Amino acid sequence: MREEVLDLLAEICEDDAVKQDLELELFESGLMDSLGFAEFLVELEEQFEIVISPSEVERSDIDTPEKILELVEARR
Amino acid sequence: MDILRRIQDQARECPDRVAVQSGSSRLSYGELWEYSERLAFWLLQKEDQDRAPVAVYGHKHPWMLVCFLACVKAGRAYCPVDISVPDARVEAILRALPSRMVLTTESFGADAGDKHVISLEELEHIVTEADGGNAVSESDWVHGGDTYYIIFTSGSTGTPKGVQITADCLNHYLDWSVTLGTSPEEKQGQVFLNQAPFSFDLSVMDLYTSLASGGTLYCLEKSVQSDYRALVQSLKESKANVWVSTPSFAEVCLSERAFSEEMMPELQVFLFCGETLANKTSCKLQKRFPNARIINTYGPTESTVAVTDVSVTPELVEAEDPLPVGRPKPGTRILIWNEDGKEVPEGEKGEIIIVGDTVSIGYYGRQDLTEKAFFCFNGERGYHTGDKGYLKDGMLYYCGRIDLQIKLHGYRIELEDIENNIARLPQVEQAVVAPNFRGGKVVSLTAYVVKYQEKETEISEYKKYAAKTADMPEDVPESGSILDAADMKAALKQFLPDYMVPKKIVFLDKMPVTNNGKVDRKALAEGAVRPKSTGIQLRQTETRPEESTDELL
Repeated sequence: MREEVLDLLAEICEDDAVKQDLELELFESGLMDSLGFAEFLVELEEQFEIVISPSEVERSDIDTPEKILELVEARR
Repeated sequence: MDILRRIQDQARECPDRVAVQSGSSRLSYGELWEYSERLAFWLLQKEDQDRAPVAVYGHKHPWMLVCFLACVKAGRAYCPVDISVPDARVEAILRALPSRMVLTTESFGADAGDKHVISLEELEHIVTEADGGNAVSESDWVHGGDTYYIIFTSGSTGTPKGVQITADCLNHYLDWSVTLGTSPEEKQGQVFLNQAPFSFDLSVMDLYTSLASGGTLYCLEKSVQSDYRALVQSLKESKANVWVSTPSFAEVCLSERAFSEEMMPELQVFLFCGETLANKTSCKLQKRFPNARIINTYGPTESTVAVTDVSVTPELVEAEDPLPVGRPKPGTRILIWNEDGKEVPEGEKGEIIIVGDTVSIGYYGRQDLTEKAFFCFNGERGYHTGDKGYLKDGMLYYCGRIDLQIKLHGYRIELEDIENNIARLPQVEQAVVAPNFRGGKVVSLTAYVVKYQEKETEISEYKKYAAKTADMPEDVPESGSILDAADMKAALKQFLPDYMVPKKIVFLDKMPVTNNGKVDRKALAEGAVRPKSTGIQLRQTETRPEESTDELL
């Protein structure tokens, strides 16, 4: 599951660096933007049936791969 | 229609109706008309370069509209510049305009040169101090073939070019835009959503269609658009009837489950422009808003926002993939030409040519560029879009670009514009930017960069740096400090808007070339080139364009 979520994240960020460095700052580094995050949530629902509404989370809750993994883990 | 007269009528008939709302500030039609009248009078008293276009810098403050209308009432074109434009680019735009002032509604950090920067405070002062009895004569207004606004877009040389739209162009465009999705009568007094910054011509669709309909323009500020909670709250509170945005923005909203008819029960019509509307997006919108109409439009800045429209019904989404972009509006003809300027048979691909009453008179102060793109066709103005497409039963289908221009999230970008700006960085010998596609759509950009060899760098660094930075801001990182992609991106943000900064930067030892010595863009796009030994990897699967650019026309 963890692996698959990271794969999805890497696909959207178009960089495997997000799999290697889980503390990577996603928004500041330009790897993720609001459109990318929207796409991530849509895929999360389609592939894993995990539903997260973007208005439920603050940007600071999702700005690294590790935090995203924790969020997904909590919603399983 | 005559847009200025139309706004004047609204101000007389319903002076208290809200014309524009942005955050907690708003202006009524009465205030908008009166304030712009006073500011126009002040502008007319200025002996300044005889009616030269005036830059208006800011974001979504209601006084932006006061400035726009004041300029055109004083017989001057205005040139909207959003706060998202980096200072170096703002300066390039200002240098192109001979007027001696800039009207601003937000703090202005760029170097204005010999121009006087007029702050919001000063604008308010001018308006409150003015003698209300001084009306501007209608004969001073921008009329007919006079330029009404100038919008700067990405230019292939690395310097933006200003598209001049006349009062006639805008009025012809509005005759059509008020009919989109719903009737002009239905649109009377409705709420129009504004997503795009005013320096993006998509904003003309909401701003002026709203003013022409006596409607209220409801602005979504940058800060609201980047915060989902605030965005949801604003969309709810807007009670918008007419939605105008790029498809990308609708996709962002769709990831929020609450985004539906229940949340925005007043919404009647979605107007899209700026990029390809995906079947998937249309499908989702139809499900969430079963009673709203979806209209897809197409057009370049050079022909006043848009020139074709199509109603996207569930039947159409079922039958066509990708979706067509529509049929031409009255007053516009769409032609498909081959390389020799000959019309091709129906169904065959070629360059999309727009002829008609909304085609721009050309690029401001750039006769050379104007002659390349614009021409006269049987007494009407024509424009080479550089877009590839075909017609089927009078319906236009868009198939991407012929040249190196792309659309990313609705923004029009010349890849060479980015390349020229990367090449200005002291350590860069050569740079090529390639789009990355997913599902036939450009999703991001990758820059392939060759740096100067280390030794050479040491010897001639200073010279190169001095030569290249003649018009660079002072706080550019010193030569030698650009070590990795992150630093390079940060440096680029000083010259380029965020959306033009490539998502990935790949360093190469040398650029691949084709047999005839040109940069092999295809090899780069297909990921056939090995990057230098850095941590960045090329992902072969995602960097394949939908089709090669060689087989065009």
